[in-house]
Amino acid sequence: MEGTEQVGLLPNVGDHRHLRVLRKALVSFLLLAFALTMVFPLLFMVSSSFKSNAEVFEKPFEFFPEKPYLENYNKIFHNEYYFRWYVNSVIVVVITVLARTFLVTLAAYAFSRLRFRGREGIFLGLLATMMIPYDTTIVARFLMYKYIGIIDTLWAIFLPATFDVYFIFMMRQFLRGIPFELSEAAYIDGCNHFRIYYRIILPLAVPALLTMALFTFIWVWNDFVNPYVFISSIDKQLVTVGLQYFQGRAGANYALQMAGGTFGVLFPLIIFIFSQKSFVQGIATSGLKG
Amino acid sequence: MKRKAHSGKGMIPKNEGRVGLLFVLPFLLGFLLFNIFPLVYQIVLSLTNFNTLDGRNASTFVGLKNFISVFRDPIALASYLRTFVYVLVFVCGINVAGLLVALALHREFYGKRIVTTLILIPYVSNIVAVAIVWLFLFNPFDGPVNKLIKLMGVQSPPYWFGGVNGSLPMIALVAVWHNIAFQTIVILAALQEVPKELHEACTIDGGSALQRFVNVTFPLITPALFFLVVTSTFEAFANYSYCRVLTNGGPGNSSRLISLNIYQQAFTYNRYSFAAAQTILLFIVILLLTRLQWKGQNKWVYYQM
Repeated sequence: MEGTEQVGLLPNVGDHRHLRVLRKALVSFLLLAFALTMVFPLLFMVSSSFKSNAEVFEKPFEFFPEKPYLENYNKIFHNEYYFRWYVNSVIVVVITVLARTFLVTLAAYAFSRLRFRGREGIFLGLLATMMIPYDTTIVARFLMYKYIGIIDTLWAIFLPATFDVYFIFMMRQFLRGIPFELSEAAYIDGCNHFRIYYRIILPLAVPALLTMALFTFIWVWNDFVNPYVFISSIDKQLVTVGLQYFQGRAGANYALQMAGGTFGVLFPLIIFIFSQKSFVQGIATSGLKG
Repeated sequence: MKRKAHSGKGMIPKNEGRVGLLFVLPFLLGFLLFNIFPLVYQIVLSLTNFNTLDGRNASTFVGLKNFISVFRDPIALASYLRTFVYVLVFVCGINVAGLLVALALHREFYGKRIVTTLILIPYVSNIVAVAIVWLFLFNPFDGPVNKLIKLMGVQSPPYWFGGVNGSLPMIALVAVWHNIAFQTIVILAALQEVPKELHEACTIDGGSALQRFVNVTFPLITPALFFLVVTSTFEAFANYSYCRVLTNGGPGNSSRLISLNIYQQAFTYNRYSFAAAQTILLFIVILLLTRLQWKGQNKWVYYQM
């Protein structure tokens, strides 16, 4: 836009502005078309979930079926497991968020605001382990969880997930930004370190805690590998792997599969729509810090 | 690293050292147990003979025997090779596409909010739900995509996920589609950091839009791009869930990536040590590749001092 040339002595402001608006409209149209293409598979899934299986094949592109077919959802609500998987996923997410909120922030508080011997060394050691691909420990994890007796329980999901270095890094970064004078003033007033952490730092860290909760939720909810490897009983499964089982059971009933899929993405989608801003910010800063 | 605010003498709580250690201890212990121990154990596993479910000879030290078996296994070797192709396609695809989308979003347009929301939605959606709908859309026989292609007069449309040549690129396509929002947001944030004055200066000097991009914008976002290339390479190797839910390695072995091979050897055939050896080899490959990327960065990454 800055590159458009000026012809003639008097700038023809009117034409220029029109051209600009036209150009902006064109860009907007193209981008909207692109965005719709991006979500098309998911829109298709939602639309198909309100059709009978025959309709899905006969009129795949009729986006709004004349009469929404609700039998698929009826089947899901009466499925013996689907509700269980949902509850299991919620339990795992909530416990992971709470455990991380306490253990990760406590450690991040020490790494960012207390001085102790070996602090930098330990922290760098933790960072270095982020270079280890998850697959590199998967066999040992499986056997180890079997020996300590947490295989095929939800413990095998949330207990290891608690100790996540990525969030130590993120929280440390955030806590360093809180003025140190606050801690000193509280210390002079007779607060001990735990009270300072609990009463002063933690409340100030709420924005970062929310970001952590948000990403924990989305990553744990959508995780496939851990529940697939560590949980074998179908009634103990989480949504993702449960959905795969459901897909297998639905067989050639694609409409039912689509309803199962729609229901599986619904919860994270709602959370995402309400928290889009902190979601975008969380990702944007992760790149700049790298 | 001493902080400025801490330099006031007498202000420093005396027990800071002890309390600090105490606060990191719970995390550290859990971390050692759930992250460091499995790594050590996996290395040990790869050197022993734990290749049956009941663990007969599980503690027999066999040296590099498992590693030699990997090099003698044509299926494993082919899976490594296929993985390199996949990683290359994924990393190039997601970063180039992410850059293009970010550049488009960086322009002025109406409906910025709704467009951004729509583009982000795939990123938060469940992988199995994604598989359900993609597999249906691209079903080679009666999927909507091929129906459309047939309507346009093409007699034998591609088999997509069901084709020997199509399965691997299709997995990469789904993975790129699923994760592209991340790259887009990071690049967009970097683009917004590029100072406007530099663009204006370039325009005054008579630079075209392309010259502006090549000489000003691109160099300034290379640190972000470097970060993305490194992380997406890492991410590309962690492809098990895509591979498993989309094709399960098929048809034949045409989309069998090494991760799938590893999980199958370990959890279907209970050849734990053999699988462990494959993961250690993969780890070494990833480390070498990352090192290469860091060494190569001074050729193209521009850091402002």
